[in-house]
Amino acid sequence: MSLSKRVSNWFSERLGLNDLPFFKTPDYMYHVNEWLGALVAASFIYTVISGLILLLYYNAAAGYQSTETIINQIPYGSVVLYSHLYGSYAMIILAYVHMFRNYFAGAYKKPRELLWILGVLMLVLTLGASFLGYSLIGDALAVSAVDVGAGIITSIPQLSFLIPIIFGNYDTGDYTRVLALHIILVALIGLLFVFHFFLAESYGMMPSRKVKPKAPAVYTKEEWSKFNPWWPRNFVYMSSLIFMTWGFILAIPNALAYLNGLPQYFNPFMNPKPAPPPNSPAAAHITTYPPWFFLFLYKIADFTSDVVVFLMIGVIIPLVYLIILPFIDRSDELHPLRRKVFTGIGILMITYLIQTSLWGDLAPGVEVSVKDQVVAYLIPAIIVALGLTFIKPMNDQMKLTRGISPMTGILFVIVSLLFAGSVVQLIDYPNLFTFAITAFMGSLFFLGSKTMGKLVLSQRIPNNAVPEVKTAEVSASNETKKKFAEILMSVLFILVVIIVAQMWTIPPTGYASNLFGVDLGLVFLMLGEVISLYHYVVYKKPIEKEE
Amino acid sequence: MGLKIRLGNGERRVLKSSDLYFIQKLLKTMRNPKTRFDSREFLEKGQDYLFNYVGKNVGGIDEGRRNFLKGIVIGVAAATVVGVIPGLRVLVPPVEQVSGFPKSLLLDSSGNPLKASSIPVNSPIITLYEYPLTGEPNFLLNLGDKNGNPVSISPVEVVVPQTGKTYKFPGGVGPNNSIVSYSAICQHLGCTPPYIHFYPPNYVGPSQLTAPEPDTLTAQALLAAKQADIPALIHCDCHGSTYDPYKGGAVLTGPTQRPLPTVLLEYDSSTDYLYAIGALGVATYPEGADGVPSQDPTKDLDTSQYGSSVGDKTQVQASTNPFSGS
Ligand code: FES
Repeated sequence: MSLSKRVSNWFSERLGLNDLPFFKTPDYMYHVNEWLGALVAASFIYTVISGLILLLYYNAAAGYQSTETIINQIPYGSVVLYSHLYGSYAMIILAYVHMFRNYFAGAYKKPRELLWILGVLMLVLTLGASFLGYSLIGDALAVSAVDVGAGIITSIPQLSFLIPIIFGNYDTGDYTRVLALHIILVALIGLLFVFHFFLAESYGMMPSRKVKPKAPAVYTKEEWSKFNPWWPRNFVYMSSLIFMTWGFILAIPNALAYLNGLPQYFNPFMNPKPAPPPNSPAAAHITTYPPWFFLFLYKIADFTSDVVVFLMIGVIIPLVYLIILPFIDRSDELHPLRRKVFTGIGILMITYLIQTSLWGDLAPGVEVSVKDQVVAYLIPAIIVALGLTFIKPMNDQMKLTRGISPMTGILFVIVSLLFAGSVVQLIDYPNLFTFAITAFMGSLFFLGSKTMGKLVLSQRIPNNAVPEVKTAEVSASNETKKKFAEILMSVLFILVVIIVAQMWTIPPTGYASNLFGVDLGLVFLMLGEVISLYHYVVYKKPIEKEE
Repeated sequence: MGLKIRLGNGERRVLKSSDLYFIQKLLKTMRNPKTRFDSREFLEKGQDYLFNYVGKNVGGIDEGRRNFLKGIVIGVAAATVVGVIPGLRVLVPPVEQVSGFPKSLLLDSSGNPLKASSIPVNSPIITLYEYPLTGEPNFLLNLGDKNGNPVSISPVEVVVPQTGKTYKFPGGVGPNNSIVSYSAICQHLGCTPPYIHFYPPNYVGPSQLTAPEPDTLTAQALLAAKQADIPALIHCDCHGSTYDPYKGGAVLTGPTQRPLPTVLLEYDSSTDYLYAIGALGVATYPEGADGVPSQDPTKDLDTSQYGSSVGDKTQVQASTNPFSGS
């Protein structure tokens, strides 16, 4: 036995890696689609680590100044700070994706109701923690966001006792409480995550709909004991995903730090730098807007002057709906088109979320008449209702050969809606940004319709390929792909070494220091990619059936 | 190793050793009763079964190739670790040791040079700037008389009660020679604003005896101010130390044993700008036990780990007025 084998055996014996009660994974589940939770967890872990580093320097008594000190004087402080910000951004986006994916897949159904509810609570905590974290910067935007938040709370007399509990002496520039609550909420997320994770492990990943089309969708112990063990294939696959997530979190904001003079409407989404301090004259020249993940709430606040109504529309109704969802959708159908009402509501939630956020970005704080509200929100609702009435659940057999999943179908519906929504926005606010969005959505729509067109077209052409022949082709091309993957791995190795050598020369502070973040992000991306290629070459089987 | 075949002059490899290894492993697996190759199923399902079988039992990959790939993955991972190492410098706080006092231009809160003539006289608002190190607050005061007219502050000899020694305070600067600057760290136990702050004339009176912290004046402080015949004073609410802003921050009442250190200001009358150029008095960062100063400010600064040098510019910040009742 080789030394490395002996070492790894020693560890797996001591750690009991082979008998960990972790769920085993069937071959067909090695797609990012099935691992969205791992992505959320990866960004959570990254954000916690970078946050702990920031905690070494952040001074709650002087929020803005210590933020500036971290950016300008701490070695690679801006790299850590910007990636901390984008780690939380990634976590929010991925949490939404993870949630809606499971929403459409029906993953909240028996036996996963509790898992779902825990997830929704974690989303709320994440948004809360992000809001507090954003406030810690203490720049003009953060202060105004807190003012808006505090204003909403104060306008309900029964709730104003919460203000000192949440914000403490914020007004005098003391962020101690905000910082403490930020950490407390994150700790709560961590706690719930442990439950969420172990519940998920004990139910197992949700089987493909082709395997178990009805709830409760679980593999029996007998079935899953035959799958790939957690160690090493799952581990390898998971690490590739984690490193890639970290790579993006590091590379994107540090690259964006070099973008200057963004138009105002890009600022909430793309600018990792703090705004001027609230007491400076420069603060008077900036439009205040909340962090992007609360833009939708900010816009809803323009709809009504009644805070209770606002809270109902913006927070309580969607939240309560999501929490009680497993109990109102009681059918055992998992196919989204066999749960048309819930699918429709889900699509509308996504559409409204994006639509309202963009609206808040384009016209922050501009009041909206009831008529405009009705127009803006009724159109998507009508499109969804009509669309869902006419789409029939596709024949499962058909999809197997065509490779278009219902997810693709739904995605297409969403894209069409977004396209329609953006056209409305373009008419309302004809400017470059709306045009760009419309063009982008339009091209997605175009691509989608081409794919869907193919599907419709090929349905008429009889498929007379013999399965055996196909299999051989698949595996032959598989081998070529594996060869290619190996070459790619060697190339990436060389690239990583070059980049790392360069990284050692980057100054720790000043203008160039963010290059370090970009490079480190690239290195993580390549590490993730190399591991993923390794997984492909070593573990990928010629045919991975949906058993 | 491996199998070779002779073709004319050249040798050609037919099978690599890894291929041989693979075949050997495959044959062994096929013979193994636990994983026996089912030839009947093979006839039925053809290649499909074979591929699956190999994939499941032998692995499509031979050992040598797998090790090579593992090597690359480990190599990239190792390179990543090497790449992270310089980033660990983030854990080392930047300590910039200061060997002397920088000449720092005072900026107002929006980042423009501060105009000396715009500083309000006897302002109850605490105006602070960091110098010579970050995190190191100093008062900036424009002193006046009871009626709010600026008074010229003349040079004076300041006594350090702790040592009995004296040093020369150079007086005020600015258009009326009325601007002075002192460290805002109480020399008793180090309280900072708002606990230590300036009391303008209308707050130096008996009503302040019962004011809530941090606005209380002690009876001693009031008495001392009367005896020294000064309208305003600097007072620390922590334990009641009082300082005389008109006479170089000298001690009016204890428990402090040391005057407030002076920050030396330079006034440029052509631009109306102010510069901080040094400090005077006992050390702001006394070395050794009990805060006994070494009498050498430069030396004391050298050993300070408080912050980094503010450099050639430092910004003035106005904290809110602690007199909340007013
Ligand atoms: S610290 Fe100021 S009087 Fe004691």
